Amino acid sequence: MMPVLEAKDMMVFYENAIAINNVSLGCHRGRITGIFGANSAGKSTLMYTISGIILDVKKKEKMRGGERITVLGKLIYEGKNIIYMEPSMRAREGIILCPERRRIFNESSVMENLRIGGILATRDQAKKTLDRVFTMFPALKNLKRREGGFLSGGEQQMLAISRALMAQPKVLLLDEPLLGLSPAIEEVLTDAIVEINREMGITILISEQYARSILPIIHYGYVLENGGAVLEGNSQELMDNPDVKSAYFGI
Amino acid sequence: MVDETRRKKRLDRSIKVRTEGLYAISSGAEMFYLILPRAALIVGLLALPLFLDMYWQKVLCAAGVYALLSLGFDFLAEYVGLVCLGGAFFIGTGGYISGLLNSYFGWSGLLCIPIATLGGAIFSTLVFIPALRLRGIYFAIISFMFPIFARDIITTLNIFGGTEGISALGTLPNVWTEIYLILLAVIIALFAIRRLVNEDIGLILRGIKDNDQAVKASGISITSYKIKAMFIASLLGSFGGAYLSHKYGWVGISLFAMDFSILPIAASVMGGMGSLAGPVLGAFALTPLSEALRGFGQLRVVIYCFILIGFIVYKPEGLLIYFQRKYHQFELWEKV
Repeated sequence: MMPVLEAKDMMVFYENAIAINNVSLGCHRGRITGIFGANSAGKSTLMYTISGIILDVKKKEKMRGGERITVLGKLIYEGKNIIYMEPSMRAREGIILCPERRRIFNESSVMENLRIGGILATRDQAKKTLDRVFTMFPALKNLKRREGGFLSGGEQQMLAISRALMAQPKVLLLDEPLLGLSPAIEEVLTDAIVEINREMGITILISEQYARSILPIIHYGYVLENGGAVLEGNSQELMDNPDVKSAYFGI
Repeated sequence: MVDETRRKKRLDRSIKVRTEGLYAISSGAEMFYLILPRAALIVGLLALPLFLDMYWQKVLCAAGVYALLSLGFDFLAEYVGLVCLGGAFFIGTGGYISGLLNSYFGWSGLLCIPIATLGGAIFSTLVFIPALRLRGIYFAIISFMFPIFARDIITTLNIFGGTEGISALGTLPNVWTEIYLILLAVIIALFAIRRLVNEDIGLILRGIKDNDQAVKASGISITSYKIKAMFIASLLGSFGGAYLSHKYGWVGISLFAMDFSILPIAASVMGGMGSLAGPVLGAFALTPLSEALRGFGQLRVVIYCFILIGFIVYKPEGLLIYFQRKYHQFELWEKV
């Protein structure tokens, strides 16, 4: 079976430094694919490249006269190479990023945040997703009018995922969804991720350094190190790998 | 289309790497490499008036005042994070203090200018202290209002000569003193501020721009540092104002004109924000340009705008930063 989203020989340079070195990976329809790596492994750059945000960063850097960012390789989504497609167009095609550090709209209420996310959706879709989101995260239901900036870290992350869902993703990119959260919230979120994948049938690509809770739920995973994919395999294979064990589980 | 097989690589020239640190004094070539741009600026500025006629010498003097203001604007905006649109206020206070001293006490221009520089800076800083707690756009708005405020107080209360201004002030001894006073001031101010931002105080100021909460958390009072920075920037502006009043032999409300607040922004964008020397060069390029375009009447504003838009769209980094990169680095194609 062809992967729905596939990166081929992807390379990203920040000026002369290489951030993504020849990474090839595939994301199969209806599966959860994980990307693991320590800080500076290139996880965020990879997510930026797949979602297209890197093109925006590139332009801004160019305007400032700062680092030049070079993006090379292929990113194939439903048979088309989209590596130079604008991020907004990618979102229309169904690749939605839930960004690292949440990036919710601080001065808008929870409901407004969700409505901004749902601008691409039809009225029916939006209503359906809204119901689904509130059943998945009951905590949000009581906070509809609260401003985004006043939510706790966990609630903000729930909101960020919900907002991404409102855009009706075909492929959902989750960039470090467990960053800085307590174990209890982690559990809520991993359950939700499984539910999104299983019941809504959304393909998920998730990048995380905290592998302990994410590794068991993925179908296939890649381990990044210094910008290169050094290891890949399904969930069990990765968990059995002695290097992964020592690096991520401390065994 | 994007070439998939090669990409442009940018590397420092080897001589740039060699001139970092003590190794700079190891050979003549390295020292020459370091001194060349600085010497070119100093010699260029000092030699310029010798090749100009009377009219353009006058323009050069005005450009020098704008250069001081641009330097102050760039210092405040890029190193302290205060976008100050109140350049005209510094000019006005400096000019009026110098003019009043000259007309009431009859002190000579060369004595009034230093007193007015210091006095104007102290007065401007005191006036700005309440606004210093603000940041970003709020500070910009407030600082923009100060010159308008001062101008209206003078006209409505009819003090300091009201709309007429104070005329018949003592002028500077001769035209060469006029020119070289302002040029030397620009050069000294430029190198002094360049030095200042690399000292400890500059480190703290840049920290305030970056993240003022972290600076507070390090036990440093950010307001006191902002006051110091404001004082330095207003010194430059007040000197410019005091100088102008003795150059023209007249002070009036036109010293609070909006030009003094706006042109520094344009000069900074053109020369390169944060490079300090860039805004100075930008001012020396823009002022004569707006003079040369005077023949076009109102249309010159349009041409002027086009130049600015062109810079913002196509070279937002500014000229100096662009040339700096060309000087220090080279590019080559590399196979991926």
